[in-house]
Amino acid sequence: MTKSNPSQSRSLISIEVGSANTRALFFDAVESRYRFLAAGEAPSTIGAPAFDLNLGVLEALDQLQEFTGRTFLTDRGLLISRDNEDGVGANAVCTTFSGGPPLKVVTVGLLGEVSLESVNNLVHSSYCQVVESLSLNDRRRPESFIDAICQTLPDLVVVAGGTNRGASRSVVRLANYLALALNLIPEKQRPQVLFVGNENLQEEIDNLLGALTKLYHSPNIRPNLDQESLGPATQALTSIYFDIQSRKLHGLQELREFSEGQMLPAASALGRVVRFLSTVIDSPKGVLGIDLGASNTSIASAFAGELQLRVFPELGVGGSLPGMIAETHLPQIMRWLPYDLSDDFVLDYLHNKPLFARSLPASPEELAIEQAAARQVMRLAIGKSLPLFPPDAIYPLPGTVPWFDRILVSGSAVARAPRLEQSLLMILDAIQPVGIATVILDQNNLVNAVGASAEIDPLLAVHVLESNSFINLATVISPVGNTRSNGNPLLRIQVVRDGEKEGVVEIREGGITTIPLPMGRVADIYVQPLQNVNIGLGSGRGGWVRRVVGGVFGLVIDARGRPIQVPTSLTRRQEILQTWQDALIGG
Amino acid sequence: MIAPVSYIQPLTTLRRQRVLPVEGQVLVKLGETVHSSNPVARASLESRHLILDAARALGLPSERAKKLIQRSVGEQVEAGGIIAGRRGAGARQLRAPASGQIAAISESQILLQVSDESSLLQARVPGLVIDIDPGRGVTIECVCAWAQGLWGNGRLGDGILHLVGDKPEQTLTADQIDMSLRGAVLVAGICEHRQALELAAQVPIRGLVLGSLTTRLLPVALKQAYPIVLTEGFGNTPMNADAFKLLSNHNGDQATINAQLSNPLNGDRPEVIVPIRDSGKPPQAIPMQSFRVGQVVRVMAGSDRGLIGEITSLLPPSTFYPSGLHAPGASVRSQGRDEVEYPLANLELLG
Repeated sequence: MTKSNPSQSRSLISIEVGSANTRALFFDAVESRYRFLAAGEAPSTIGAPAFDLNLGVLEALDQLQEFTGRTFLTDRGLLISRDNEDGVGANAVCTTFSGGPPLKVVTVGLLGEVSLESVNNLVHSSYCQVVESLSLNDRRRPESFIDAICQTLPDLVVVAGGTNRGASRSVVRLANYLALALNLIPEKQRPQVLFVGNENLQEEIDNLLGALTKLYHSPNIRPNLDQESLGPATQALTSIYFDIQSRKLHGLQELREFSEGQMLPAASALGRVVRFLSTVIDSPKGVLGIDLGASNTSIASAFAGELQLRVFPELGVGGSLPGMIAETHLPQIMRWLPYDLSDDFVLDYLHNKPLFARSLPASPEELAIEQAAARQVMRLAIGKSLPLFPPDAIYPLPGTVPWFDRILVSGSAVARAPRLEQSLLMILDAIQPVGIATVILDQNNLVNAVGASAEIDPLLAVHVLESNSFINLATVISPVGNTRSNGNPLLRIQVVRDGEKEGVVEIREGGITTIPLPMGRVADIYVQPLQNVNIGLGSGRGGWVRRVVGGVFGLVIDARGRPIQVPTSLTRRQEILQTWQDALIGG
Repeated sequence: MIAPVSYIQPLTTLRRQRVLPVEGQVLVKLGETVHSSNPVARASLESRHLILDAARALGLPSERAKKLIQRSVGEQVEAGGIIAGRRGAGARQLRAPASGQIAAISESQILLQVSDESSLLQARVPGLVIDIDPGRGVTIECVCAWAQGLWGNGRLGDGILHLVGDKPEQTLTADQIDMSLRGAVLVAGICEHRQALELAAQVPIRGLVLGSLTTRLLPVALKQAYPIVLTEGFGNTPMNADAFKLLSNHNGDQATINAQLSNPLNGDRPEVIVPIRDSGKPPQAIPMQSFRVGQVVRVMAGSDRGLIGEITSLLPPSTFYPSGLHAPGASVRSQGRDEVEYPLANLELLG
């Protein structure tokens, strides 16, 4: 077996282990460009009854062998020959992981709104659940913190605090409380500690905590008061995350070794892709990525290469559905249902789903409930992410997302909808984008593989992102403003394609309109607002929008206003939901 | 494809490891018989502590103060006892504000444990202790009839099984509950009435096994002190035929209702255990299988939820279902019905 050489890699297998499904994806060079060729999928086997995640990996690879006719498995089991000769193996392997329970983390910082906020930002960018926090703002007695650590038995404690020339005594005092707590926990069960505070204190922290547990240092995440620097700490956290999970989850260490270090948390892989896209678009607007999973949801946004990443382990459409239910009033789900279903039926369905999280909706009504739940999960995650989006991004209205140039959505609940108009409507209803954005659907769940492979060969990411493996659903124009009278003329749009003017389309408030523009074709459009609305050119201002790209649904004008209002009356609701769907189908 | 499985076994040998989250003390001996509610181990997870700062109390720098600490970890201290400082009249001293045990010392800070509220680990299974992991836990073995559920309210109880009605779709109502059921574990199909759950608590019963419970009663079910196990989940799905048959066969027998929360990662499921004596040592359940033709499966989603049938053929991933989705599936034949195609994702084996 030869070691993978990134510079010579031509074929690649990406393995993704999620909480519900495990996938094996195969990429190879076709006419000098990387292409996604096939995927195998199996239920994940992290938990009962298998308790070995590699059984799911094997099954996914076995399926991949069937689809591709190539041999990826030797007789000895989980070993892929990387020789890539005569239809055997692949040149490289990378892995992403999002299965397993989130790490239980205690965060410690000096001030709640400074270092503790930064350390929480760090921890929330991975699959972690903060079970306890301590800062100097904390009004509890420190004993409560110590008792809480003993009771919650965290996997990890992350300590921040002090700029590099700043506070030291207070940081040491907090670390001392931690040392006392660690002393109370039997050695084998002690949490590991990551110190990301004042770098001048590393030796003192070593003396306090080094003998008690496994202690890691990473550069200060708040080197000065105005600067948050999470990059190196994120890498350290990733490494610790896998170390801890490998001890808990059978088979993970084997998979790590097999991947030769090319293993990333799935959310980090999404973040990589989103950050990359934000650097290649020629726009001050950002890029948004969502990965809607069974057990968690990840939101990544990037503006000019600056990434904001957050994982919500409490929000998912399978095992984590109770997290959504706890934060949702039933009408927020019911409003998206085009069927006359009783509250009890919907509630029962939503509560049964996490009991058997891999189950599929059996009827159109159940599918509608799952799609409504998916909307609400994404909506909650977006709502919680609003404070993370940079304050200097452009916000046309308070409470909306900022302008995004591209929106990339992954996750089976959206990507595997039986019809693409269902996928697009879920995305639009949940995110409620503003301005002009291209909506891209990761129909084959490739984004994590693409992100993870970037380290092996960045070309793969570029080629696959440019290929039709990701579906451009539409360029969506969402005018926003303080208008609310359905049916009134809102915009006039003139499309100019190949220098030829096409008919002028008048857009009315309250609906969805499509303008045909074949997939991949480019047009210039002239937009003339008829009311005081903003499409990104300024309030009430019109003008040319150059090089708009057509998607599956051409151009889509979402004139439903923000936030989208859905009638409460069943008949009106059914009517309007049908109208919105028909508008896309008609396009 | 490795199939999820629910066990409904008329006779099996059940083994359960009960392990503390941290090191503690095992309270039972090898070969001892335990009841489900017996504590088998304990650990100090709920203790309360006080931090005492010798540097501050003595008015000295930490380095000097720590040299004056007169106690070591593990020592018992009475209230008022000297912890740090020089002896003698007039010397500044740090005294214990309450009696307790020195739990930890770090630099000049001393952690005094003032209460030891040990967490007790219950057996949750009646049986014989067949293995001990010193300081951590035990393995308990039980020969029993065993039915796993899908949801539990976290409680534990023992009592005599009492079947309410003779059909798996029987709805539990308040008028079926009276004082004669005191100490019983009720078995019924469906519960849709709050009064039934509340009256059962007043009797009190010792447990409730249902096919399903309407979701609106979930907060009520969580509040009850007696264990509740649902075999099918939420809604109005009758209890599956195999579970109903097993529980009917043991009507009047002593049973343990371990309504622990489901955790797919460690395999915990709520369960009903009916100990069976003098049956030798039947085999343990088969832990892992794949879907194959001829296997008995239960439908876990859709309008046929709870239905039990036999796989007659496996279907390719291109198989479409009424929802419009496509996925690998199976044709399932059940009593008195035509064959129906289900996604494999909606099936589980009955072990």
